Amino acid sequence: MYAIFKREFLSYFRSPVGYVAIAIFSFLAGFIFYSQYSSGSVNIGSEVISLRSFFVIIVPIITMGLLAEDKKRGTDILYYTTPVSLFNVVVGKVLAAFALFAVMFINVIIHIIVTVACGGTFGVGAIGTIIVFFFMAFMFISMGLFASAITDNQIVSAIVSFVLILISQLLSVISEYAGTAANSIATVFGVKTYKALAFSNAIKKAISWLDPFVKTQDFRLGIFSVSALIFLVSVGVLFMYLTFRVLEKKRWSQA
Amino acid sequence: MIEINKLVKVYGDKKAVNGISFTVNDDEVLGFLGPNGAGKSTTMNIITGYLSSTSGTVKVNGHDILEEPELAKKEIGYLPENPPLYNDMTVNEYLDFICDLKGVAKAKRKHMLDRIITMVKISDVTDRLIGNLSKGYKQRVGIAQAMVGDPSILILDEPTVGLDPSQIIEIRKLIKSLSKSHSIIISSHILPEIQEVADRVVIINHGKIAAIDSLSDLSKRLLGQTKLLMTYTGPAKECAEKIRTLHGISSAVPKITKNKVSQIELTVVGENSTEIRASIFFMMAKEGWPILELRSLEPTLEEVFLSITSEKKGA
Repeated sequence: MYAIFKREFLSYFRSPVGYVAIAIFSFLAGFIFYSQYSSGSVNIGSEVISLRSFFVIIVPIITMGLLAEDKKRGTDILYYTTPVSLFNVVVGKVLAAFALFAVMFINVIIHIIVTVACGGTFGVGAIGTIIVFFFMAFMFISMGLFASAITDNQIVSAIVSFVLILISQLLSVISEYAGTAANSIATVFGVKTYKALAFSNAIKKAISWLDPFVKTQDFRLGIFSVSALIFLVSVGVLFMYLTFRVLEKKRWSQA
Repeated sequence: MIEINKLVKVYGDKKAVNGISFTVNDDEVLGFLGPNGAGKSTTMNIITGYLSSTSGTVKVNGHDILEEPELAKKEIGYLPENPPLYNDMTVNEYLDFICDLKGVAKAKRKHMLDRIITMVKISDVTDRLIGNLSKGYKQRVGIAQAMVGDPSILILDEPTVGLDPSQIIEIRKLIKSLSKSHSIIISSHILPEIQEVADRVVIINHGKIAAIDSLSDLSKRLLGQTKLLMTYTGPAKECAEKIRTLHGISSAVPKITKNKVSQIELTVVGENSTEIRASIFFMMAKEGWPILELRSLEPTLEEVFLSITSEKKGA
């Protein structure tokens, strides 16, 4: 596991990928912090939340090559023919991408130091958003890794993870639309109004239950929810497992 | 030692490997010969655990590749058709990564890598990026990769493909020196390639074993029929007819005639073709057709198959 982690993490800095990701993140974090600072009220919590919405760009950049590149180069054969297990390969790759996030996060730590040094506040709510930031990063990295496992083309991989993350960011919007659509369809089929409403509400709730952003919105107020964190970890682990299965499938494939 | 038993790999409705069984003994070089698409790489991929077989078993030093994969894989060093190299790493970084992957202890590492690097002769490029190396060096780094961890078995899939002749000779020498302490499976679709290094040959075609033989037996079979190509100045048909009357010649086929220079392909029966070549010379001299060239033709893989399959039919 450590071997894979070390190679992948260092490879971010052998190619432009790591530098590009760090540059984008630093620019965004710096820009957000600067605009808060110049308006005279700094809130680390809302800075971290704003940064979270850029996962949709940063995560695909980081994860697109993780497995797709291996397949293209033919180096994935090493994972199958050396004593290292595929499980360790998956974990090592996720950890490497996660470590890059930790490096990028140094920006925010600097902002925290500046804020505290200037007499600003850094409260429980901010800590909450940071916790969510890392759990969510893990979840999206797993999704990105999965997208990277299903293709040997980095561009395809990036697009798939972009779409996956975009969908999870837009889940509340999607749930509204799906609810309205369900209501109209039910009415067309002659279902009674109160039943149609209940049906559409059920659909809306079911979809928005999956929304990781709604689940974790109270963290910024300092209200921590273990179940929300378990949800994020579960989705992450699910996608790691799917990645593992995709890798295994290659060995058993008969097509 | 590798024991391969009734290996089958099905792709869709095509059997890429169809019931292959053979054994590789300790410290033996086994040549694995077959035309492109015969199932060589698939078989090697199954032995190394990259693919799994549809049915059949592979045992590496007694460990089943599917049931005890980690133990079995420790015994194998594999050089696939395309060496698994990272172009963005230097040779040293890469070999260190392979050590990590194969779980080589830090204490042993330096000594082992030094030995391997001198053996495959890449000491002058260890600090260069792999992406900038020539094809020959890349191939050698690939072999070095396979040797990391001191596996007792090396599996080399077409190790000399795409190399220039001097590099091919070097790689052959390297394989010969490795064969003293390793069992080696080496695949190729070129017969002379295998003849140079192998003790025993497995020939496969269409996923099935066409022949397993020691190299001397194989060459004996082939020596039963030697083909010669003769270039001379003189008429084609007339000469062919005359040659056919000579003792020991089974066929003479005129190939081309251009500017009075003709070529005839001769098939000689019998192990010793020296006398026959002498009698051809005297006959040609008597007729006044000067021989410009007389050389033996290396049997092609197709001819090997033909001779093997026709023998089987005859038996």
